[in-house]
Amino acid sequence: MNKTGYIAARLLQIVPTFILIGLVVFVLTRLLPGDPVSAMLGDRATDEAVNRLRAQMGFDRSIWTQFLLFLERAVTGDFGSSIAYRVPVTRLIAERLPVTLTLTGLATIFALLMAVPLALVAALNANRWPDYVIRVVFQVGLSSPIFYVGLVLLTVLAAWLRIFPVGGFGETMLDHLWHLFLPAITLALSFAAVIMRNLRASLMEVLEAEFVEFARAKGLPRQIVLMRHVLRNALITTVTLVGLHIGALLGGAVITESVFAVPGVGRLMVDSIFARDYPVIQALTLVLAVIVSVVFLVTDLIQMTLDPRVTR
Amino acid sequence: MRRSFLKASLATLIVASGVVGASLAADAATRGGKMIYARYADSLFLDPVLNDANVDIWVMNNIYDTLLTPTADGVGVQPGLATKWETSDGGKTFTLTLREGVKFSDGTPLTAADVKWSLDRARDPKAGAWNSSLASIDSIEAKEPGTVVLKLKNPDPTLVAALATFNSAIMPQKLFEATPGATPEDKAKAFAEKPVGTGPFMLTSWKRGVSMTLKRNPNYWKAGEDGKPLPYLDELEFQIIPDDSTRLLKLKAGEIDGAEFIPYARVKELQSDANLRMELWPSTRVRYLTMFAGPTFKDGKPNPMANVKVRQAMNYAVNKDAVIAITTLGLGKPMRSFMSSTTPLFVGQDLYKYDPAKAKALLAEAGLANGFEVSIYSLSGNSDDQNDLQAVQQMWSQVGIKLKIEPVDNPTRTARYREENFQMRTAAWTNDISDPSQITSYFAYWPNIHSLHSDFKDPRIDELFEKSQRETDPKARAEQYKEIQQRYNEAAPIVYLYETPYPVAFRKNAKGFVQIPLGNNLFEAAYVEK
Repeated sequence: MNKTGYIAARLLQIVPTFILIGLVVFVLTRLLPGDPVSAMLGDRATDEAVNRLRAQMGFDRSIWTQFLLFLERAVTGDFGSSIAYRVPVTRLIAERLPVTLTLTGLATIFALLMAVPLALVAALNANRWPDYVIRVVFQVGLSSPIFYVGLVLLTVLAAWLRIFPVGGFGETMLDHLWHLFLPAITLALSFAAVIMRNLRASLMEVLEAEFVEFARAKGLPRQIVLMRHVLRNALITTVTLVGLHIGALLGGAVITESVFAVPGVGRLMVDSIFARDYPVIQALTLVLAVIVSVVFLVTDLIQMTLDPRVTR
Repeated sequence: MRRSFLKASLATLIVASGVVGASLAADAATRGGKMIYARYADSLFLDPVLNDANVDIWVMNNIYDTLLTPTADGVGVQPGLATKWETSDGGKTFTLTLREGVKFSDGTPLTAADVKWSLDRARDPKAGAWNSSLASIDSIEAKEPGTVVLKLKNPDPTLVAALATFNSAIMPQKLFEATPGATPEDKAKAFAEKPVGTGPFMLTSWKRGVSMTLKRNPNYWKAGEDGKPLPYLDELEFQIIPDDSTRLLKLKAGEIDGAEFIPYARVKELQSDANLRMELWPSTRVRYLTMFAGPTFKDGKPNPMANVKVRQAMNYAVNKDAVIAITTLGLGKPMRSFMSSTTPLFVGQDLYKYDPAKAKALLAEAGLANGFEVSIYSLSGNSDDQNDLQAVQQMWSQVGIKLKIEPVDNPTRTARYREENFQMRTAAWTNDISDPSQITSYFAYWPNIHSLHSDFKDPRIDELFEKSQRETDPKARAEQYKEIQQRYNEAAPIVYLYETPYPVAFRKNAKGFVQIPLGNNLFEAAYVEK
């Protein structure tokens, strides 16, 4: 199978996945106790007010009727209005998604910049002091709770030294990057720790492989052996790991988002779940599913380039 | 009676907010500039009639005005868009004189027709959750220029307070009707995106869940201390920062000028920070535990809390002062009625002084000498709930009551509550109106929501309440409320805990903010010194 065919097949697989995700999310949100109306009207509403609003929003219809209506509209790109905010869901998501994408992108870049060189150093000095130092530091990074790391960075670098803003997102592009620096570093620390450990292990494995021995014996320069043969081969499993982690970051950076007051989709999702804001939960899940699928596809393509066996 | 009460509560207000009062009196206000205020959650829907939550109610007065407004102490009303009001025809006609020369923020003049239309919209029984506050109105007549006559079905002592409450805010009829939208609800959604009112500010941009920018309304009618029109600020920005620590860090770093909902644990620290000013505004907020008091629970099991002795025992077994010390670090004070001490017609009693021996005796009288087990829904992740309940759990264990804590999320708790499928739950209340009728109708008057869905029913309270809703003699009404409170407090269908102030903090140079006991955030006279 060639590359284009492979991509087409993968894209086709996505369609049934989405319908399934849509159905599961739709049913699950409705299985939660309480509905948007009770979340909205709070403790004080009378039964009369609750029933009136429930009927107005169509929640008195059967769940299947509601699902079919949802599908019918979703196909045309109409995800309805947020129940809590009373504005189109697409607008809410469009406001938040760039923030999350930028944050995830930055965190990934930072993580790779930290992890890859250090993993190389650690692997080449396996079980000597540089290796120990790097492993201990990352162990701390990995085991510290994110909200704690975030708060420490905020208190020291933002509140005391005033090098960075405490929170928010800023106005211009440069300002955005400036505001996202600390949250991205916070996310990158634990992310980098995972990559470093994984990459170090596979580097050490590859370093002992026969083909590396052979390359060295052929008299290839050290740099070329390391980059073209060792790193390239060791990265194959790491790429998968990075892809998975990006997927988790997209919707799961909730703690970082709230500590740094970053208006991303993680917070929107959590708020929407607490408000039982069905339309937002549904649309956001689907949008995130699309992005995660694309990330996985890209991951696979990179893997294919690194290791041509994947397509066979 | 009413006046002496007013004086007394004014005195408490001044004492309670001593620092605030002093700093306000001393300086002249700075004009211009921008204030950034951090809120813990964003508003949802800025429509006076169709909104549902405090996040809307507490800030809407910066955009819309009401005919009358609550006084800063929260127990009285003062002129707003109306300068004069009088009753005639045995209390069945209510005539309001509108302030002259008032304009909406878009420059169009306020008319009697706008007032009639706004009140008709607010009292439509099919619209919103608040229409019952204006239920006594039979018809409204607009007499241009500047007079509005309300014909009432019956005399209504709560009407004055109702006309000072957010849902009777005045909106521009023509502009609203010209707003695109197929249904009134759609129009309201579109209008609330760019609301036009007569309030001190205009909403100019709103990123949901992130920030809200309000600009000075150049047409605002109220004048500042310098004789020129308010507000002092050119711009007011609300930033939404749900995380308590981040909100405080931003305040300390000077990135924002003020912040709401300071956690009790941080109040002392902020009080000693030379750059900040901690403000504790008297509130109508009460914290209590709700219980189901009907004979059997939803699952058919008999309910020990149906017995008044058991409910009293539960109250005697709680050391309110200890709970206050643990949860509020001493900032709260014990509840002395089901309504807060800042509510008009409040009558305070020393309720259920901590007495475990008496609690045990009462339980024994109720045939529960060995105690009983009861479960309570708390809000997961809420530290106040956690602190309160752990203290209560420990205190109750001494008299044999085993409290099982079940943390759930808010919609779950509300749904169970509404189905009356609960044993106990945590709760808090703030008044929306400067009158005791609202809280009483929810807590004590069965026909509304079965007395906080407890199923507690006292026909005498119901009768007194109905009478008080038409009572035009203030003295007689106060007597009715005294009896209602005494009867309810004796029957104890809640576990009484404490009242707390609203804790907000500002940078030293940011002044003039007022939060009234109902919760409304007033920024019209706020300013930032250069």
